[in-house]
Amino acid sequence: MKKHLLAASMVLASFSSIGAGYQLNLQGIRQLAMGGTGTAMPWDASTIFYNPGGLSRLKGIQVYGSILGIMPSTAYGNYYLGSTRSEKQTFTPFNIYVGGPVREGSRVGLGLGIYTPFGSGLKWDDNWIGKYIVQSIELKSFFFQPTISYRFSNFLSGGLGLIYATGTFDFKQALPVQNSYEEAGTLTLHGNANGVGFNAGLQMKFSERFQVGLTYRSQVTMNIGGGSANFNVPSSLRSSFPNTRFETFLPLPQVASIGFAIKPLNNERLTLQLDLNYTGWNSYDSLRINFAEHTTSLQDNHAPRHYRNTLTTRLGANYKISKIVSVMAGGAYDPTPVVNGYVSPDLPDADHIVITMGAAVKPIKRFTILAACEFVTTPKRNTTYDFAGFGGTFWTQAITPGIGIYYNF
Amino acid sequence: MKKLYIFGALACLFTACKPSVNITVPPTAGDADFRSYLAIGNSLTAGYADNSLYVTGQLNSYPERLFEQFALIADRGAQGNFYQPLLHGDMGYPSARKELAMTYGCNGDTSLSPIDLSYFSADAQDAARYVSPGPNGQINNIAVPGIRIADYSFVSYGAVNPYAARFYNAPSTGTPQNELEYRVSNLHPTFFTMWLGANDVLGYATAGGQGDGSGNALPPIPNFYNRNDITPTPVFDTNYGRAVATAISTGAKGALINIPDITKIPFFTTIPANGLVLTRQSQADSLTAFYSNTLKYVFTLGANYFIVRDNLGNLRQAVPGELILLTTPKDSLTCAGWGSYKAIPQQYVLTTEEIQNIKNATTRFNEKIAGYAFRNNLALVDMYSYMSTIESGIVYNGVKYNSQYVTGGAFSLDGVHLNPRGYAIIANKIIETINAKYHSTIPPVNVNKYRGILFPGDF
Repeated sequence: MKKHLLAASMVLASFSSIGAGYQLNLQGIRQLAMGGTGTAMPWDASTIFYNPGGLSRLKGIQVYGSILGIMPSTAYGNYYLGSTRSEKQTFTPFNIYVGGPVREGSRVGLGLGIYTPFGSGLKWDDNWIGKYIVQSIELKSFFFQPTISYRFSNFLSGGLGLIYATGTFDFKQALPVQNSYEEAGTLTLHGNANGVGFNAGLQMKFSERFQVGLTYRSQVTMNIGGGSANFNVPSSLRSSFPNTRFETFLPLPQVASIGFAIKPLNNERLTLQLDLNYTGWNSYDSLRINFAEHTTSLQDNHAPRHYRNTLTTRLGANYKISKIVSVMAGGAYDPTPVVNGYVSPDLPDADHIVITMGAAVKPIKRFTILAACEFVTTPKRNTTYDFAGFGGTFWTQAITPGIGIYYNF
Repeated sequence: MKKLYIFGALACLFTACKPSVNITVPPTAGDADFRSYLAIGNSLTAGYADNSLYVTGQLNSYPERLFEQFALIADRGAQGNFYQPLLHGDMGYPSARKELAMTYGCNGDTSLSPIDLSYFSADAQDAARYVSPGPNGQINNIAVPGIRIADYSFVSYGAVNPYAARFYNAPSTGTPQNELEYRVSNLHPTFFTMWLGANDVLGYATAGGQGDGSGNALPPIPNFYNRNDITPTPVFDTNYGRAVATAISTGAKGALINIPDITKIPFFTTIPANGLVLTRQSQADSLTAFYSNTLKYVFTLGANYFIVRDNLGNLRQAVPGELILLTTPKDSLTCAGWGSYKAIPQQYVLTTEEIQNIKNATTRFNEKIAGYAFRNNLALVDMYSYMSTIESGIVYNGVKYNSQYVTGGAFSLDGVHLNPRGYAIIANKIIETINAKYHSTIPPVNVNKYRGILFPGDF
């Protein structure tokens, strides 16, 4: 007979962020304002992210900084369980880029990008209906990308950046073990994540008015080893749920993109861009949380994900009103990688419809100020998370204003 | 231009980011009428849990849950209050309910085990007769723990069942059938649920199969059948049929709930038949030597089948599929040599033959119940099959429930009855069946809202 009779089963959720998957495309303010397009031509030093091949085509060394405020909100409703909304949170990813041709006229460009390609989360009320699946989740990440770019000719340039990613992961859920006051226990996970990858691209300048870009960003597998798992349970269950370490990994998928930039007007004031991103989400097949210690009550957790690959379409426009002021607008359709039956409330994903706009002002020589605003909405999605016996209708919206500056040396 | 942009951004800030999803499906009664609901049953319907009846258990009974859902219906929904013969407190009546506590075993190990409530003292108000404050002395839940279909024709049932004595209209002179007739005439139910019959086989099973088991035994007193035996099928048929006829006599619609597969409840499945675990070879050798002249069994390291005494008084090793009762004293198994040097007494063992008796009787009774449901066009809730679903486990909003003792989250500490979450799961199964039968749209209940097993100690 077991020493301890007890304890409970649980269903661990996965972790990730707001946005169709974790592909945020907030890495450049002007590109954001243009629907997230930016593969075909280098607008500024943020091309280190959008297409490293453009770095050698900048006018000179540039320092670029931007910050954004993501304000997501997800509503949940079920015909008999009621409705609720995720708690208000603001996430502030930032981007810093330094780089350009090593000296005027050089074919070689060098640079470094520090950016936050995903850094978001979701927090529900502690007592909400899905509390045994997730109460809150947050993932922060920083990518460091030293980059080299070479201009083969006026027509062709290429670039390669190596990525080192680091980040933190926090997760909390209720456990179905209650004390004598009928309060549920909790599990808190905290861990540091890191991974490596690369970002490569080519740009082809067919003419001043027609350019094409290709990029490939590799998968970055974020490994969390030695994270802490803390169980807050009634004292009689402490030996069944020992505080322990855990490990897991989360694949940030590979993305292949093609982008086009056209200047249809003779005065070349208008630029139109089209980007297509093909994202290899199907590498996210399941989420495994492995605990260092096991008991009859505490076993490794394995949640199926079965994400599917997606093709995102982005359109954007930039209109140069004067030498000082430009305005941008754009939109994107970003289909969800999460299939019905696997929609967990830690990432209640749905197809994303994105509308963006922005402006750039160049008040003095060499110095530019950028501002953008992105509005994301999903259709109401009535779906289930079969693994946890959960279902309902979700509707997510996010508003993301951002500002940036850059200075050309 | 910049101003324009700021305007745009502000507009988006104030208007967006307030998504809301309000999904409403109006609850409707369909072809049924839930204005006046009567629950008929035994302990499972009374809200019995943790080996006793207490007020919190009653308030978490599945009929209470059903009434709450019926009351959400605007047209022909449940009206007024739901009156149950509530006890005064949570001590347990007439004996202590069980709670979990850290206990010291005979071998010095501490373990989390169910014990009788440590601060129990009989509540005098519990024993007092229940008088309904409802209109006309209305009672909506007339379930009596322990009652069998066999008892439905036994006069002065209140004299042998303290739960019946508490609220029956004529406890010392009437039969449970008389009580049902009285309540039906008093309440004029438009809808009823009836979950009876489990005790007609459970008494035999929890006594370790000590009765005759054939289902043909005669009653020792007229109309009073042996509690530890299986009710004869003709008696079951007659009494059940009469009860259904009474329940529908006011034109009520309703649901008949059949008998679950009791061999799958934790009371019988927690202690495995091969629970004799030997951790040292010397233990195995000693046992083999001990039985070398008699049974000639060879014991091995690890799991061995217990030594039991069967119904004929024979000493033997249990065989796969046989069941050991949860009430088998744990210290006797651990320290007194039960199941190894001494046989586990027969009243704690269900042998293969006894299990077959239970299954056969359950099948016979459920055929009768299905027949009454079909002939009277009533909903039939197949709890027999649903037990198999719960045994393998269901997941509800992130919580896994199954029929494991304590860990499974659905059964109470007696291993037979459910806890409030388990009763909510049952309520949802009944609602699902009612909706299918009567084309109603009664919403299910939120199972996780109610309490499960409570564990001692602070966080």
